[in-house]
Amino acid sequence: MHLFITYTIFGLVLGGVYGIAASGLVLTYNTSGIFNFAHGAEAMLGAFVYWEVRFNLHWPAPLALLVVLGGFGPLMGWLLYVGIMRGLRDTAEVTKVIVTVALMLGMLYLSDWIWNPVVPRTIVQFFGPTSNVHIFGAMVPTHELIALGVAVAIAVGLRLFFYRTRIGVVMRGAVDDAGLLQLNGHNPDRAAALSWAMGSFLAVLAGILITPVSGGALESNALTLLVLDAIAAAVFGRLRSVPRTFVGAMVLGLANNYVLAYFPSSWSWTSDFRVSLPMIVLFAVLVVLPQDRLRGATILRTRERFRVPSVRTAAIAGVCLVGAVVLLRQLMVDSDVTTFTVGLTFSIIALSLTLLTGYAGEMNLAAVSFGAIGTLVVFHNGIVGQNVGARTTLQWIVVGTVVTAVVGGIVALPALRLRGLYLGLATLAFGVFLTDMVLMDVNPHKLPLLHTKFSLFSAGAGIGSLVMPPLKIGPLDLTDGTTFLVSVAVVFAVIGVGLVALRNSSYGRRLTAMKDSPAASATLGQNLVKLKVSVFMLSAGIAGLGGILMSQALGSVTSGNFDIFLSLSLIMLTVVAGIGYVSGALFGGLLAGVGFALVVSTFNNLANNHAGLHGLYATIAHIAAVLPALIGVGVGQNPTGSVHQIVDGYRAMKDNRPVLVGGAVVEAVLYVLALVGAIGNWWFAVLTAVLIMVLPLVGQYTSPEAVRQRAAEVPLEMAGLDAPYTDELRAQLDHALGIDDVARVDRRRGVTVAAAPGVPADPTPATGPGPAAAGGASPSRRSR
Amino acid sequence: MPALEAVDITVTFGGSVALDEVHIAAEPGAVTGLIGPNGAGKTTLFNVITGLLSPTGGRVSIHGRDVTGLPPSRRARLGLARTFQRLELFTSLSVRDNIRVAGDIRNAWGRSHRINVAAEAERVIELTGLGDVAEMDVSDIPTGRARVVEVARALMTQPSVLLLDEPAAGQTERETEAFGQMLGRLADDGLAVCLVEHDMALVMQVCATIHVLDYGKQLAVGPPEQVRNDPAVIAAYLGAPA
Repeated sequence: MHLFITYTIFGLVLGGVYGIAASGLVLTYNTSGIFNFAHGAEAMLGAFVYWEVRFNLHWPAPLALLVVLGGFGPLMGWLLYVGIMRGLRDTAEVTKVIVTVALMLGMLYLSDWIWNPVVPRTIVQFFGPTSNVHIFGAMVPTHELIALGVAVAIAVGLRLFFYRTRIGVVMRGAVDDAGLLQLNGHNPDRAAALSWAMGSFLAVLAGILITPVSGGALESNALTLLVLDAIAAAVFGRLRSVPRTFVGAMVLGLANNYVLAYFPSSWSWTSDFRVSLPMIVLFAVLVVLPQDRLRGATILRTRERFRVPSVRTAAIAGVCLVGAVVLLRQLMVDSDVTTFTVGLTFSIIALSLTLLTGYAGEMNLAAVSFGAIGTLVVFHNGIVGQNVGARTTLQWIVVGTVVTAVVGGIVALPALRLRGLYLGLATLAFGVFLTDMVLMDVNPHKLPLLHTKFSLFSAGAGIGSLVMPPLKIGPLDLTDGTTFLVSVAVVFAVIGVGLVALRNSSYGRRLTAMKDSPAASATLGQNLVKLKVSVFMLSAGIAGLGGILMSQALGSVTSGNFDIFLSLSLIMLTVVAGIGYVSGALFGGLLAGVGFALVVSTFNNLANNHAGLHGLYATIAHIAAVLPALIGVGVGQNPTGSVHQIVDGYRAMKDNRPVLVGGAVVEAVLYVLALVGAIGNWWFAVLTAVLIMVLPLVGQYTSPEAVRQRAAEVPLEMAGLDAPYTDELRAQLDHALGIDDVARVDRRRGVTVAAAPGVPADPTPATGPGPAAAGGASPSRRSR
Repeated sequence: MPALEAVDITVTFGGSVALDEVHIAAEPGAVTGLIGPNGAGKTTLFNVITGLLSPTGGRVSIHGRDVTGLPPSRRARLGLARTFQRLELFTSLSVRDNIRVAGDIRNAWGRSHRINVAAEAERVIELTGLGDVAEMDVSDIPTGRARVVEVARALMTQPSVLLLDEPAAGQTERETEAFGQMLGRLADDGLAVCLVEHDMALVMQVCATIHVLDYGKQLAVGPPEQVRNDPAVIAAYLGAPA
């Protein structure tokens, strides 16, 4: 009984803190329509700043709290909204998710930069670790009671705020109809900014409270993942209701502590289970949530536009890619070959995102985790031979791919009935569950009935790593690094061309239709759930294959190779490069897999080797670490991705042969110089990148025709704003609005009335030939 | 037996009643009109009929079969198709692909439904007069033509009941005239058309029966002549004399 009361109180405290974090998440989502994956990262930054002023600078607690909670927290939220989130209107849900994911990664790197993660830091409880209160015979630290009291106060306060204050009611209205709110004299923008300030305040509060509750050690990764617990609680409230979110948070907090209290600690997986609990609960809730109502496209015209290449173009590009890989191999030392191969396997995993997100508009935030499934299948079944003679077999790679597809279908099914965001959350939950639970299963345990010892993720004796030998198909042995590299490039090219063919097929058109307008697809007879499951399975299969190849390229993998942060930065960089394109997957995968890590390690090595310039190089390394996140945040400005821009640039100078040939010659010279060792590989890479970027500019400069063509592509609603308003423009506008000429509209007014005397005549709006007339001369309701 | 029948449809959003025991039927080979001021509940009724919205009460049947509990895709397979007032075109596809994809979707229903998509798309494009814009992006064509693309797309599924939500809005006078003639031809071929439209000239010209909705209530039903002179209808549109 004693135990029960103690753990119940601890559970309520933990639940209360989860509730504070989750309510902030719900608040920002409902007011601004942006689901903030960086919520936990905000909590983390807040906790670190609090540690800095309270325990490093030794400010008194009240002052530190005032500065962090009253200043830093709200200011951070407000700045985030004004600086970044406000610009995300009219972007696809994926873009919104990516920006906050990038923000989360950026904050994480930033904190590791400022506060070296190797140094241990602790936040001590309020009133010290020895201050306790006795309740029903159980001893409870004062800090925990304070946390519980604060949680209750926040819950009651939010309720009053939403229902009793003017701005609270405005906030509730902001999501339902921002336009209507504006007509009524409110400013939805200000409401959203306030909600971000409040959300950030709540996150920081939760971060400061939870650190001592969960042991006191300040750890940036763990705190950032607080967002997962918050998400699980928020899903209880269907991401809308704050009271139900608090209930969910309490359930999570209590369950967590009861597992701690009553599960036998001798079970090797008890603590993993406790860590994974929020993810398991999140999944269970998704299964029982009722199906969402189908809505029409909420955005009439998203800013993401992708062109579709023909299969022929794709095939040529595929051959070029393999050729380029063979040529690049000549420049590399052997260790670089392995790195490059790993990067390409990431690109294959990224292809799964091109299909799922780029073509079908759905999300998978744990693509790399699906690779772990395939790896596990192959590791346990598909290895023949011993030690250096060990090889994996083709048939088990196929089985691994298929099993991953099936697992993907099972994971996605509950979420596919719901909005796109829920699929993102479900996959995130799956990815974290996998790393926290399945890949932690390293200690062999006896299986009931079978009497064999078995562990999922161990090569034996509790070592959490799997050795993955290379593939052998008949005479083709991939032990040789070059053969493996070229094979992976071929696999990428084949899947890539296959995807382009798929996109141009009737199946691909149906995917696009579903992405553009689910409602129209459904009313034409498309079973959306079936289509979504099929595409998700296909995509998971590709991720599985990519994961198997990645494990083989690495030689041996640990759970860290399937970390959720890897998946997140992969999807982020793929979106940055261009999620709608196979080439976007190529560059996104290379960047996520090896690109930035390579840059960072290069500069760190430089820093260590050049003591004098240590500071400079270390700083550059840090900047390079934060850079991908900064680019990711920037995707809000350019949601179609950078590949699109480059391709567009080259398309414009299709006929500008001298420039194209000149570029090719320069590149060939660079290659030869690199081959003979006149310039280093880094210089070759940098100069090639510069050449690719600069060439379209040269092309533009040399052909004024292309420039004029670009100017004419100004969106119609911007017509006449930064260029003179010409008759030509006017005619173009009239055409787009469906007005032939003014006279005809005038005449029609007479005709309509004469044709139907005494009827609901069609009162043409007084505005005349303007947008209103074009939108349909609809009778407005007369007063009665 | 009417091709489409919706009986006693009631829809409430929270406290407000959007539709109050509305009844509508569409016969094969005829155009049935549905008119009423903005906010009368016309689009809501279409959403109920196509299954995008579950009614609070009432039932919908297609060719005598009760479909009230069926999802939108199953209703489409029974021959129901619609267009949207707020355009729901597939903006990443060209006009031709917008039309083709509807045939692709139909082909995915099952073997017995197979059609030759390319040929059928060509026929529908010719029928609706979209030949000159077929290769353009849907977002680059005028609203009036875009509405015709929606109609063409709906026709690709070979429906027996076609719901049109303000198809003539944004069309020029000449386009509307051609559109009216096309509706007549479609009806002559046996299609049951249900038309929501504010262009009274068009409605009066093509409809055999007109239903009038106001504030979610059924105000009048009858042939054009009768509805045109109904005092309640005139009051709803022009305001009752004080």
